[in-house]
Amino acid sequence: METTEKYHFDVVRWFSVAAVIYLVFGTLVGVLIASQLAWPVLNFDIPYLTFGRLRPLHTNAVIFAFGGCALMATAFYSVQRTCGVKLWSNKLAWFTFWGWNLIIVSAVVTLPLGLTSGKEYAELEWPIDIAIAVVWISYTVNFVMTIANRKSSHIYVSNWFFLGMMIMITYLHVVNSLAIPVGMFKSYSIFSGVQDAMIQWWWGHNAVGFYLTAGFLGIMYYFVPKQANRPMFSYRLSVIHFWALTFGYVWLGAHHLQYTALPDWTGSLGAAISIAMIIPSWGGAINGLMTLSGAWDKLRTDYVLRFLIASLAFYAMSTFEGPIMSIKTVNALSHYTDWTIGHVHSAALGWVGMVAAGALYHMVMKLWNTEMYSTKLINVHFWLATVGTVIYIIALWISGIMQGLMWRDYDAFGTLTYTFAESVAAMHPYYVMRVVGGFLYMLGGVVMLYNVVMTIRQASTYPSTSAEPARA
Amino acid sequence: MTSLQEYFYTDWAALTSNDWVGLIMTVVVFFLMIAIYVYALHPSNREKLEAQRFIPLDEDRLDTEGRK
Repeated sequence: METTEKYHFDVVRWFSVAAVIYLVFGTLVGVLIASQLAWPVLNFDIPYLTFGRLRPLHTNAVIFAFGGCALMATAFYSVQRTCGVKLWSNKLAWFTFWGWNLIIVSAVVTLPLGLTSGKEYAELEWPIDIAIAVVWISYTVNFVMTIANRKSSHIYVSNWFFLGMMIMITYLHVVNSLAIPVGMFKSYSIFSGVQDAMIQWWWGHNAVGFYLTAGFLGIMYYFVPKQANRPMFSYRLSVIHFWALTFGYVWLGAHHLQYTALPDWTGSLGAAISIAMIIPSWGGAINGLMTLSGAWDKLRTDYVLRFLIASLAFYAMSTFEGPIMSIKTVNALSHYTDWTIGHVHSAALGWVGMVAAGALYHMVMKLWNTEMYSTKLINVHFWLATVGTVIYIIALWISGIMQGLMWRDYDAFGTLTYTFAESVAAMHPYYVMRVVGGFLYMLGGVVMLYNVVMTIRQASTYPSTSAEPARA
Repeated sequence: MTSLQEYFYTDWAALTSNDWVGLIMTVVVFFLMIAIYVYALHPSNREKLEAQRFIPLDEDRLDTEGRK
């Protein structure tokens, strides 16, 4: 195991396994709360299990537990391999691992208890917010110092994307979490009114833009060429992709606040830059997809590559859909409806989940120096994830557009045609359909966890001397 | 004043210090981004930049490459 001696990979192994466990946990809570929307009796009249408390637990589990561990595993793995040096500090990396997991445990405890700051995607209370900042900075410092110690003269583009994410998330998290504590588990934002809303969505959309996009593009730019065993299509395009994304994304948050007390021009600016962002986003997606130019047949046999390439198709789709939804005319129909939830999940399940799964499969084989226990199960996971995602987003497209149309419909006397309760009743079949899609996606996660556990057991029983990509 | 002029009318005197800081930073960063585009797309830089495509596939070279 030459590579394991050459680099600090133990911490990467733990992050990788944790990511797969959190994928199952986060999607399980997602399936439960989706079921609660379809069948409210599943709230059981137990406050700790109600939708309002479990929904932030679901988002925190999938974004910060699964997504965070996947980002930390892949960043620590690829920065060592592209820089040709060990992590700057193995101890600091372990501090990041245990610190991050402690934060996740504290979220699992506090959110069902109803301890929340009430800020979307930043619900955790102030002591945990401080812990997040400290642990995140430890991750960033270790990454930066590893790059500083590199053997190569050039910093590979995936590291730029990871670094962009780390710097921006530090800035965004600290500013958005500024609050006055009034107790050990209660605080109030220092911002108020429309400024609080603007700061909230400046954070909210940039959590999407830098955490769930830039970070996972870092994964894409390392793992797609690696798994395909081909250089990326255009390095210059990746440079332009990075800088355009970094410059553009910070402007978009205002498009979440169309038709509110926020000045009108701010929302228009957010929408205009959102439209402009289609160009770098598609440039990046095409760059990833064209890496396979002339070797598309690999998709027939390499199931890990299928995850990576399918994720790019979902990335292209959702980065087109998002800007369209930010246009005021479309937003008037789509906002506050399930269409938004469908859009978020097309990106989260299709792009983030699948690119991370592809990278995790790749890393598991390399880290344990073996092939996957079952390549067929990778394929089963791929189809469960793909079909689950498609069912989910189609259900919420129909549901969301129907909601929007019912809410705005009025008769000849100017009276609303439908009551709100009627629109809720009309959603029921689509909420059931969403449960089915989400359940399939979760089942894919369970299959992955089983495959990863069996691979690790197999590796310790029958150590291999070579690690090749999974093929049929 | 035409409708276009009216649309783009700005009350410069009403801009606060925060507004000016934000405006200047945005304009400077925008031009820096343009400069990066010119650098990345200039034909003379093509070979140098595209050579970096192989980094993930050629990790062993780092064992022998001296930095800078």
